[in-house]
Amino acid sequence: MNSTTAEFSLEAGPSGRGEFSSLVDVLRRRAADQPDDPAYIFLPDRQGERVSLSFSEVYARSQAVARRLVKRGQKGDRAVLLFAPGLDFVVAFFGCLLSGVIAVPMMVPRRASSRDASAAIMADCLPRFAMTSRDLLTHARPDLAERFRTDRLDWIFVDSCSADSGKRQCPLPLPGPEDIAFLQYTSGSTSAPKGVIVSHRNLLENSEMIRIAFGNTCKSTHVSWVPLYHDMGLILNVLQSLYLGALCVLLAPVSFMQRPLRWLRAIDEYRAEVAGGPNFAFELCATRHRPDELKGIDLSCWKVAFNGAEPVRARTIERFAATFAPYGFDIKSMQPAYGMAEATLLISANRRGTGPGTCNVSREELQRNRIGAPAHADDTQILVGCGRLLFGECLAIVDPETLAPLGPRLVGEVWVAGPHVAQGYWRNPEATASVFKARTASGDARHWLRTGDLGFLDEHGELYITGRINDLIIIRGINHYPQDIEETVQDCHPALRRHCGAAFSLPDQNEEEQLVIVQEVERTLRREIAVEEIIATVREVVAREHEIAAREIVLIHTGSLPKTTSGKIQRQLTRQRFLAGSLSRV
Amino acid sequence: MTENPSEAAIRSWCVEYLARTLDLPGQTIDEGMTFARMGLDSANSVFLIVELEDWLGLELTPDLLFEHPTISALARHLAERTSR
Repeated sequence: MNSTTAEFSLEAGPSGRGEFSSLVDVLRRRAADQPDDPAYIFLPDRQGERVSLSFSEVYARSQAVARRLVKRGQKGDRAVLLFAPGLDFVVAFFGCLLSGVIAVPMMVPRRASSRDASAAIMADCLPRFAMTSRDLLTHARPDLAERFRTDRLDWIFVDSCSADSGKRQCPLPLPGPEDIAFLQYTSGSTSAPKGVIVSHRNLLENSEMIRIAFGNTCKSTHVSWVPLYHDMGLILNVLQSLYLGALCVLLAPVSFMQRPLRWLRAIDEYRAEVAGGPNFAFELCATRHRPDELKGIDLSCWKVAFNGAEPVRARTIERFAATFAPYGFDIKSMQPAYGMAEATLLISANRRGTGPGTCNVSREELQRNRIGAPAHADDTQILVGCGRLLFGECLAIVDPETLAPLGPRLVGEVWVAGPHVAQGYWRNPEATASVFKARTASGDARHWLRTGDLGFLDEHGELYITGRINDLIIIRGINHYPQDIEETVQDCHPALRRHCGAAFSLPDQNEEEQLVIVQEVERTLRREIAVEEIIATVREVVAREHEIAAREIVLIHTGSLPKTTSGKIQRQLTRQRFLAGSLSRV
Repeated sequence: MTENPSEAAIRSWCVEYLARTLDLPGQTIDEGMTFARMGLDSANSVFLIVELEDWLGLELTPDLLFEHPTISALARHLAERTSR
C-alpha cells in the first residue's frame, strides 16, 4: 500500500471465507442443519395469506424446479425470471442455481410501455427459459406471452413444479466457485443493456463482506420491500439472510409505496435487525408518519438501516431519526452504503453501530469537483459518508483523465478491486475491458473496476460520493440514462430536433431528484407549433416509457443547446443555464 | 357521520391534489385529461390512490387509474361506490 495515495486495502481473509464452495453449498447446508427454521416469509397486502417457507422447503421446491430445467435444457442456458412480488421468485432463482442454468432477474415490463429494456435484455442474453407463475401469465398478464412470442421461450411455471414430481430423480450438478450464478442487468442504456456476470465466488465473497460490515449473525432477521430483480433486494436481503441462516421477511414494493409504515410495523413484529432501501424510502416513512398507526411499536431491535442505491441526504437521515426516535430508533443504526452490480453489490459501508459520518464542504468548490471549507453559511453543503472499504477489497480514488491515484480530500473516480468484482459483462468484451480491466498510471499491475462515480476519501478512509462522470440520472433508486429519455422525447413529435435535447435531474425542496428536459425545436416548424401541446405529449411519453413524472420541460430555439465543438451534448452546462434562467426559451 | 362527498367534490379534490403534487408549470389540470397525459407515473398513482382511500374510507386497487383514466371518470366511479 502506497501511503501517499488514498488507496486502502484490507486483504487478509477472515476465517469464515472459503467455508462454502458455492451458494448451492450454502442452501444445502441450511436445509440440512436447520431444516424447519423459517427462511422466507411473504407478507400479503390486504387480501391474501402470509406465505412462509422453511429452509428445507425452499430446498425441496428449488430442486423440483431444477430437475425440470435439467430435463429441458443444459448447463449455461439462460432463464429470465418474471414474477409478481412473492416467494416464487426465490424458488426460481435457487432452482436455476441448482440446475446450472443462469438466472436473469428482470422487471416485469409494464403493460403500456413499448421501449423498456426487456426486449434488449432478451436479445443480449438469448434465454432458453422464461420462468414465471401460472397466475401471472394466465390471469394477471397474458400480454407477456404475446410480447415475447418471437423469443421462442420455454415457459416454466414454478408454482406447478411439485416437489415429488419426477419419479426417477435425475442428479443435479454441483457448481464450482467460478461458475456463473446469474446475470444482473442494471447497467447500460435501455437500448444497450449490459449484463454483469456474477459468479458463485463473487456472491460468497460479497456476502461475507456484508456479514462483517453489518455485524450480522443467524439471529439477524431482515425485512425488505425492495424488488427482487433489483440487486439490493436480492443480494442484501434474500441471499444475505440465507448466507447467515437467518429469516428474511418480504413485502411487495407497491405495498410499501402505499403504506410505508407497514415496513416499520413488520420490523417491530419480527424483531428485525436489518432493513434498508434507497434514500427516498426513509423520506417517505417520515412524510407518512402517523402516530396512530404506530402505537406500541418498538424499533429498538433495528440495528442496520442501510441506505443506498441513490444519493444519501443528511436532511433525510436527521428527519427520519428524529421522527422515529420516540419509537426506539437509534441514529447509530443508520448505515449509508455504496455499491454497484459490477462489484456484486456492496463496495463500502460502516460497521454496525458506527452511525453515519458527515462532512461540511463548500458548495461552490464542490461544483468544480474540489473539496474546501465553506466560505459562508449559505455555501455549506453537508455530505454524508458512505462508510469505509470492506474486508478484502482495495479502493482507490483516481484522476479519470491522467489515471493517477489521488490523495485524501481530492475528488476523482472511485476504483475498486477485490474478489467481489465480477468477471465482466455478458458477451461484451469491449465494455468489459474498459470498465473491469483498468490500470492506474502508478504502474501497479492490478486490474481495477472503474465505477464511473466521483468521490473522495477523508483522512479516516470514509468514502464520500459527489457525482457521476457520465450523466446518469438516479430517481427513486433506479438508474436512467439521459440518452434514453432524450430519444423518447425526440421520437414523440416531428417538431423536436434529433440529438438536440438534454435530460438531467435537480433536487427539489425536499431534496428529491426531479427530471428536467430541455429540447430544441425545428426552425421551420417553430411558428406553427403549439408549445403546450408538445410539452403535454412529451410529459405523457416520458411517464409511460420511463416511469418518471417530468418536473419541467423546456423548449428552446434551434441551435441553442450547449454542445462541445465535436457536437457532444453538455448536460451539466445546460443544467447550469437552466438554473440561471439563461436558456433561449421558445 | 358526515355525508359522502359528491362526485363534484371528488373531482375538485383530485384537480387540487394533482395540481399541487405534480406542480406542472405552464399546464393546467383539467377533468377530462387522462392521467397519462399529466405524466402521472406509478409512484404518484399509488400516492393518489392512498390519499383517496384515506379520505373516502374505501379500499382501492392500483389498477383503478387504468380502468378510470380521467378525473371525471374516476370521480364518477368513486361517487358511485361511496353512495353504496
